[in-house]
Amino acid sequence: MPVHESDVCVIGGGITAVMLIERLAQLRPNLKITVVEAGRSIFDRQNRPTYHRRAIEYGEHPWHDDYIEDQQARGMISMTMAVGGQALHWGGACNRFSEEDLRLNSIYGLADDWPIDWAELEKYYVQAEHRLNVAGDPSPYPEDRRSGPYAQPAMPLSYNLQVLKQWAEQSGLRFSPLPMARNITGPTDGRGACGLYDTCGDVCPTGARYSPDYTYQQLIAANKVTLHDRTLVRRLNHGGNGDAIVSAIGYHQDRPSETTQYRARHFVLASGQCWSSHLLLLSTSSRYPSGIANRSGLVGRYMNGHKFISAQAIIDEQTFPGLNMTHSLISREYFRCASGKPFVRHDTRVWESTAGKEPRLRSAAGRLLLGDELLNDWRARATRDSAVRLRAYYDSHPHRDSRLTLDESSRNRYGDPMPKIEHRLDEAATAREAATLAHCTSVFERMAQASNGRLTGAPTVSTYWDHPAGGCRMGTDPSRSVVDSYGRTHDHENLWVIGAPTLPTGGCTNGTLTFVALSLRSAVAVADGFRG
Amino acid sequence: MKRRQALKTLATAAAALPLSRVRLRADELPADQVFVLRDIAATVLPSVMGSKGQNEAVDNFLRWIRDYKEGVALSHGYGEPRLVKSGPTPAPGYTRQLVALQQAAQSRGGRFGALPIEARRELLDAALKAAEVRNLPGRPDGKHVVSDLMSHYFRSSAANDLCYNARIGRNTYRAIRVTTVRPRPL
Repeated sequence: MPVHESDVCVIGGGITAVMLIERLAQLRPNLKITVVEAGRSIFDRQNRPTYHRRAIEYGEHPWHDDYIEDQQARGMISMTMAVGGQALHWGGACNRFSEEDLRLNSIYGLADDWPIDWAELEKYYVQAEHRLNVAGDPSPYPEDRRSGPYAQPAMPLSYNLQVLKQWAEQSGLRFSPLPMARNITGPTDGRGACGLYDTCGDVCPTGARYSPDYTYQQLIAANKVTLHDRTLVRRLNHGGNGDAIVSAIGYHQDRPSETTQYRARHFVLASGQCWSSHLLLLSTSSRYPSGIANRSGLVGRYMNGHKFISAQAIIDEQTFPGLNMTHSLISREYFRCASGKPFVRHDTRVWESTAGKEPRLRSAAGRLLLGDELLNDWRARATRDSAVRLRAYYDSHPHRDSRLTLDESSRNRYGDPMPKIEHRLDEAATAREAATLAHCTSVFERMAQASNGRLTGAPTVSTYWDHPAGGCRMGTDPSRSVVDSYGRTHDHENLWVIGAPTLPTGGCTNGTLTFVALSLRSAVAVADGFRG
Repeated sequence: MKRRQALKTLATAAAALPLSRVRLRADELPADQVFVLRDIAATVLPSVMGSKGQNEAVDNFLRWIRDYKEGVALSHGYGEPRLVKSGPTPAPGYTRQLVALQQAAQSRGGRFGALPIEARRELLDAALKAAEVRNLPGRPDGKHVVSDLMSHYFRSSAANDLCYNARIGRNTYRAIRVTTVRPRPL
């Protein structure tokens, strides 16, 4: 079996991995770092304008073969498995959690506190925002104070969002442009400036929206990291009688019978909330019958993220859908819940929308519309008022049994059981579901009242949890958590889990910036292991 | 009148050509069916486009048909993803549908475009219902050539601009500052 040795072996090649590697390479320039990723590299930026066009015209997935058909999880929200991970096609939303997320138990008596101070995490938020070149404006809420400015001023609001901001703020909520990881002021880091193709969530033809593949290519070119792609790590091995992890066993997609043994002083598991827990659970031995790093029995538990409530409104204002549909407004009004009031926390988001304003083939009476009739019908519906998309990500605390388990009925080519994720709210969160929906509905209705607005239907609750996290939650007590606040596993001094899996709770807004900030903090701790 | 007669003659002549003798790629429409499609476009696309604009829309649709790729993974979606691949080229089905429409028009007395508007509507309505087309698809889906032509145009950035009479330029390259002011009229 070929043996590949390095100082640090990173398993998983997504955004948290590349951020950790980039930082680690700065802190310890002489380290030999290897990243092993199950999916392939898609380093073909020159083709992205074509992929953009074909995604629009044909609905084609712009990231060709970014999935492994027999390596899929039930309950996973994306099939992508490639160098860059799901951040190849994220929207670039970079909003922060708030201090309350870290103190849910202390402040509200709910869920668990995080083992990290807000001031400490906030420092890493600033670093993360600069590495991702985030464009944002300071929040209008004083509680959201920052220790440093954004990398760029906020993405300018489109005409539509200016109209919608004026409308939405009549409710008393204050809105800001959503902070975005997009090159607004000009090309940066080998990536182009934003040309507002407005397809960030599919593919960015200019590279303006941060994408980890660019950073990987830069790190590889600078010999800062060795990339082994298309190689699935199926197992971590510990030493004979010791707790240290000594190797990871990788299988190349094209040579499934050939294995590579990765040996390193430190192993960093950066495979996201699903595959990190999965690998630990697969890595059983007589010493660790429940899997590596799982003495607490909590690997794969407290799977979190957040549910969301969506609605559409119609208002008496004219907008022009298509100006910048991937950008939105955010209000952090309900990031805090006043004491003495029923607990509810959520962000409030506003987008331009075409809901109910699309061209249609038949009139309401069922008559086939031809040519001018269709255009006139469309124009009459589209221009008399405007549709607005509303959404609230709400704090959804996980039950201990919100779990990732091994699904014996679904196996990959090697016979490994695939993961099955089943989210479940804890008792308190379950009990307040109806009240949360009622609260968000009342907020949306209050917003809609301005400009003679109305909701077009009852708000709906999501069928899945967005920005999934958890499975290896952090904490100070080894019996109640899997890793410490830096991501070091309690059970193995040289094994780290970074990013999304370590979150005890999933917050009430997009998670990527938090995953990255935590990973940058982990990088410092991993580097400390190589001091002197 | 002369032009109409010439078109009719052309269409009839083209229809008489045996398909087997015409060398076509599987992803192309026969020339006579392209003619029929252009004839239909004049009915189903906005008149403000003029015949030039309508012909361009047909050309764009023909390019779409030609560049269609089979068996390609479509967007997996997010939240509850699933793997779906593009189906076979819709071109042969389109050809059959155009032939059927042409024959139906002839049975009513002539070229599709020469029929009274309500007769054209009836023919299209029946054809779309038979193909189980209930609404304008988000993008061409191969169910029927007419709804796909309409979808290809009406879902485009150009049609969006036309609807709002504004230079929005959805999904095209734009300087950010352009989007921060009310879009100029066309």
